Amino acid sequence: MRKRVTIALAGNANVGKSVIFNYLTGLHQHIGNWPGKTVERAEGTLHFKGYTIDIIDLPGIYSFSTYSLEETIARRYIVTEKPDVVINVIDASILERNLFLTLQLMELETPMVIALNQMDMAKKKGIEIDVKRLEDLLGIPVVPTIAIKGIGIFQLLEKAIEVIERKVSVRPSEIRYGKEVEERIIRLAEALRNIHSPYPPRYLAIKLLEGDEEIEKEISRENPKVVALARRLARELEEIHGHDRSTIITSERYMVASRIANDVQKITTPMKPSMGELLHSITTHRILGYPIMIFSLFSMFYLTFTLGNLLSEILSEYLYGLEPLLISLLGKGIIERLIWGGIIEGIIAGVTIAIPYIAPFYLILYLLEDSGYISRIAFLMDNIMHKMGLHGKAFIPLMLGYGCNVPACLGCRIMETTRERILATFVTTLVPCAARSVIIFGLVGRFLGIEWALSLYILNITIIFVLGRLAFKILPGEPTALIMEMPDYRAPHLKTVLKQTWFRLLEFIKIAFPLIIAGSFMIKLAELLGLLRVIADFLSPVTTLWLGLPAISGIMLIFGVLRKELMLIMLATAFGTTDFASVLNPVQMLVFTIVAMFYIPCIATIAALVKELGWKGALIITTVEIIFAIMLGGVTQRILTLVFGLTK
Amino acid sequence: MTGIQGYPMTRRNDPTMKRMSERLGNYEIPLTALKDGEAGIIMSISGGGYGRRWGFEKRLADLGLTPGTRIIVVKAAPFHGPIEVLVRGSRLALGRGISDRILVKKEERCGRG
Repeated sequence: MRKRVTIALAGNANVGKSVIFNYLTGLHQHIGNWPGKTVERAEGTLHFKGYTIDIIDLPGIYSFSTYSLEETIARRYIVTEKPDVVINVIDASILERNLFLTLQLMELETPMVIALNQMDMAKKKGIEIDVKRLEDLLGIPVVPTIAIKGIGIFQLLEKAIEVIERKVSVRPSEIRYGKEVEERIIRLAEALRNIHSPYPPRYLAIKLLEGDEEIEKEISRENPKVVALARRLARELEEIHGHDRSTIITSERYMVASRIANDVQKITTPMKPSMGELLHSITTHRILGYPIMIFSLFSMFYLTFTLGNLLSEILSEYLYGLEPLLISLLGKGIIERLIWGGIIEGIIAGVTIAIPYIAPFYLILYLLEDSGYISRIAFLMDNIMHKMGLHGKAFIPLMLGYGCNVPACLGCRIMETTRERILATFVTTLVPCAARSVIIFGLVGRFLGIEWALSLYILNITIIFVLGRLAFKILPGEPTALIMEMPDYRAPHLKTVLKQTWFRLLEFIKIAFPLIIAGSFMIKLAELLGLLRVIADFLSPVTTLWLGLPAISGIMLIFGVLRKELMLIMLATAFGTTDFASVLNPVQMLVFTIVAMFYIPCIATIAALVKELGWKGALIITTVEIIFAIMLGGVTQRILTLVFGLTK
Repeated sequence: MTGIQGYPMTRRNDPTMKRMSERLGNYEIPLTALKDGEAGIIMSISGGGYGRRWGFEKRLADLGLTPGTRIIVVKAAPFHGPIEVLVRGSRLALGRGISDRILVKKEERCGRG
């Protein structure tokens, strides 16, 4: 019988944690969410030396405060699930800041091993670390690694198993703070001795002095007197130090981290800046940075669309080639047509339209992210994003939205607070995705000229700013601002990037496909039952009277819910021509496109909204957008008729 | 340090601010008053009422911005954008509003520049 053990990976963001995770687990991994949370949970299994090892990749965090979901989740996991050993991955090139988390892990009294990663980067920066000394000071095994080259991973795993088997004597050093603080910690810990809690008493004492809300709540249920005592002691500290209690504890802990770091590392600043340094200076340059960014983004979209078109063509040729075969197999009855038109076409559409564009898009995005460039873009765009009430990080999902709104909505998780997440998600669904671009260029661009298509984009950006600003004012809560690390540039680790792309693609398929298929089935059913006409007639007051469009466009609006580019295809089918100029006047084209651009997120995006914000949030965003699009369409129709009427 | 309002927002290029930082090098000034390449020692971070809900002071402290820490301003993004700083060996981007709330004492320029 194999023994089953659990190893958790913990560490700051950008330290190579996911690279180590991928090395350890290969393809035996599962990416999901933490129960009830929108934080990603990556798990994998591995067999080693007769053990079956479950590996949990905890979210990348800088501390165990409880201001972010990630930090709360990681802390709770460690104390309640009690993994057999925690591998704390730390960046050797930023030792001091990484040790800050290490110290907190030690205070949680969990068995641990340290992976001193990115030794190569440290060396490049002229940082030399005495590993033995670090090990002695902390009283914890330290294994130097260079994860992207696979160096040290085996030794790391061996060491982790040794700790589990208690072959090495691990006695973590006790962390002592300054006299005034230490005295009070001891006093509090004494008072907490009989408290029933998964946390060690000393940790509770420190956290109570710090004013950790979650711990305070937990303890006050058991013994409110201790919390009162902690508050009193904390107030004494505040008087001595002149800072608030949370700052005092954090500073004290950083003092310890700093002393250890200074003790074990020798820094000789290299004479000339490294390639990465140089690249950083250029890509964040106040003038050069912007053209480089625009060029990079442009290349990214160009590559995505070229690759996507190619893939899409190959796939659709192949899959639609199966149509005669399937139809001959199925026959032409009503049920068969329902199966073909509803289910199979839905699948084919997903495969040929969504995947070819999303896969390359993800791949390029993750390459950029892994290299460190995405954070530079956020730095450059922060100010502009502030104009719509968001900060630099929100530019990333927004940009993703131009490819597809589904991953963009999922990407809004990087925002720190719920308020920001809702705001970013809302704004993102207004971005014209590739499918909407098909309508903009295929209808307005082709028949009215490219300048009209581009002005629609400008109108769209303006509206995004206005609506974003409005939502910013309406939403309760306090806006956050940019606090972001810009990790050193490095060559992306291809395997990790490929895996990330693959698992993201799976996630997309899981969210989008069921709804795309169910949606096409419903619409096909409605079509076969002759309901489409009825619905179109029902909608005609809006479509004909208010928007000035042909009555049949009601059907297009329904199909658009499924997939926006279908609107154009349906338009062609309905009129029996692709020469839209012969059936629609310019005003109708513009109004049609504007409504298509805003009126509702497609069904897959709605699914993503439900996943991220819940039913209520998804419903509100969808309703607001439908009303807004119809209002805007009608107003535009009237203005344009007036203008065109005058010029003609 | 109580009250809903923080201290007045300052601009990096505000001439009075600049003059003050030159003349009174040892006074506490917001981080935004430091020029590119200048270093300072963090004295305090306080938003008054600002940022309590999402804990911006705590977030900064967790990243190593604690009182007494040396902070180097590398550069500011254009159009009143965020500021790039070096703290405890890591490179961070901080929004302008946040940087205004970080009070530092400017470090005297040493010989090597």
